[in-house]
Amino acid sequence: MNMGKSACLFSLALIISGSPATFAQMNIMGYWNPIYHEDFEERIPGPALGDYLGLPINEAGRLRGQSWSPALLTLPEHQCKPHPSTYGFRGVGVLRIWEERDPATQELIKIHTYIAWQAQHREIWMDGREHPPEYARHTWQGFSTGHWEGDALVVHTTHLKAGWIRRNGLALSDQATLTDRFHRHGNIMTHVSIIEDPVYLSEPLIKTNGFELLENGSMDPYPCNTVVEVVRPEGEVPHYLPGENTYLEEFANDVGLPLEATMGGAETALPEFQEKLP
Amino acid sequence: MKKAIRNSLSCVRSVLFFMGVLLTCGVHAQFGIPGPGGPGAEPVAARQAAPIDLTGTWVSIVNEDWRWRMVTPEKADTSSIIMLNARGREVANQWDESMDGSCKAFGAAGLMRMPTRLRISWDDDNTMRLETDAGRQTRILNFMAPDDNGEIDRGAPSLQGYSLAQWKMPVSYRPGPNAEPPQTGSLEVVTTNLLPAWLRRNGVPYSAQTRLSEYFDRFAAPNGDEWLVVTSVVEDPVYLNRSFITSSHFKREADNANWNPKACNND
Repeated sequence: MNMGKSACLFSLALIISGSPATFAQMNIMGYWNPIYHEDFEERIPGPALGDYLGLPINEAGRLRGQSWSPALLTLPEHQCKPHPSTYGFRGVGVLRIWEERDPATQELIKIHTYIAWQAQHREIWMDGREHPPEYARHTWQGFSTGHWEGDALVVHTTHLKAGWIRRNGLALSDQATLTDRFHRHGNIMTHVSIIEDPVYLSEPLIKTNGFELLENGSMDPYPCNTVVEVVRPEGEVPHYLPGENTYLEEFANDVGLPLEATMGGAETALPEFQEKLP
Repeated sequence: MKKAIRNSLSCVRSVLFFMGVLLTCGVHAQFGIPGPGGPGAEPVAARQAAPIDLTGTWVSIVNEDWRWRMVTPEKADTSSIIMLNARGREVANQWDESMDGSCKAFGAAGLMRMPTRLRISWDDDNTMRLETDAGRQTRILNFMAPDDNGEIDRGAPSLQGYSLAQWKMPVSYRPGPNAEPPQTGSLEVVTTNLLPAWLRRNGVPYSAQTRLSEYFDRFAAPNGDEWLVVTSVVEDPVYLNRSFITSSHFKREADNANWNPKACNND
């Protein structure tokens, strides 16, 4: 075979072997701006105490929410907590997504996501590895593996720290798991999260929200330092004992809804629940 | 020498041809031309080309914007539509409680946010029917392409408008003579020709110039539940300062047992 033929075949081989990598999957890399057109009041100013509307919490989840005091967040130990991955994508801050490939094979090893607020950094392993054993460390972002289903990135997360599903005290246990899906449509990306928690939820909690592509995004660092905001006796942790939280009805009264609705539960998310409303 | 030049030209032609084939495939994947046939093949009906099955009954799970969806918000409460402009707020302020229950709350741009069940079926190979029990509305999703003159007969403006639908195949999909339809993908629907109606039950308006773009995604959750997520982009140059973007999720139901049609009030 002469050099010309070899070069020609090599070029064709390069094109053939290179084409799957070029066209194989949707590109979701880049900077994404969160869209707050849904649940704006919950996600930006913050949720009201006792607003559990539509959430499939069980009795244990409700009790944890009712015993929570916002003053907890003034404790130095709580001031620099990032959102867990079960909540971070609904919180504030630009999202950056980038990939990490093996320099020799160009195979995708992992996808990183980073949200500026409290430096929420997730690593999503794409190399087919297993999740670690149950006794492995639990973290705010958990351990994530991902795969593609068509154009959607699907991520499964375990090993989460005990956290929250809403910023008004609705708790998440360390037995919870999260499934994320990222669907890109043009310059919009719809993020789906499905949380399963055998401790505090009666059925999976699904949420969907959007991001818009930022062509020229940037991100600032988010250093966080703790201070003593309120001087308290050592060991004091703000809370309410069962039945002692007098603020729980405020939200229901303010918006003119029965407590049966604002206290949540899976049935409050169904259309037929409207028939129980005044 | 001449032979060498001929061989080189032949090689360049081969490489260019192959790149052309790949690029053509890529474009088809990107724009989601339905069907496995590929360039030059007979067009395939939308039902046959469907990468996902949207038919069946789906129930909306309302755990977002609950206060503005499950009950009629108070007059002038437009706080959940943050891009509503001053003109829009002025119109919303003209609403009163006697107008509650109007069919204007069930126009295409607001319908998918209502607490409802959806029933999706095929009218024919290129026409999908989407019905809601809330407000007893019917949307027709047309997969037919424009005629040879590029025209589409959209009919008279209506509450549900005219919806043009197309499947979006995964970017990795390669149409070809032996290719099967992919098992994943999504549906894109663009709706125009709308009558003025409401984004919220309390009269937050959208105008006749509204363009609604929607993306339907179906998938299975780890526990086996089947979900439909509809991402909606409402563009209205009259009452909105920017696009209004939401995503609504629906869980598949095994049957039609909970279908509960309730009519709205035609004004």
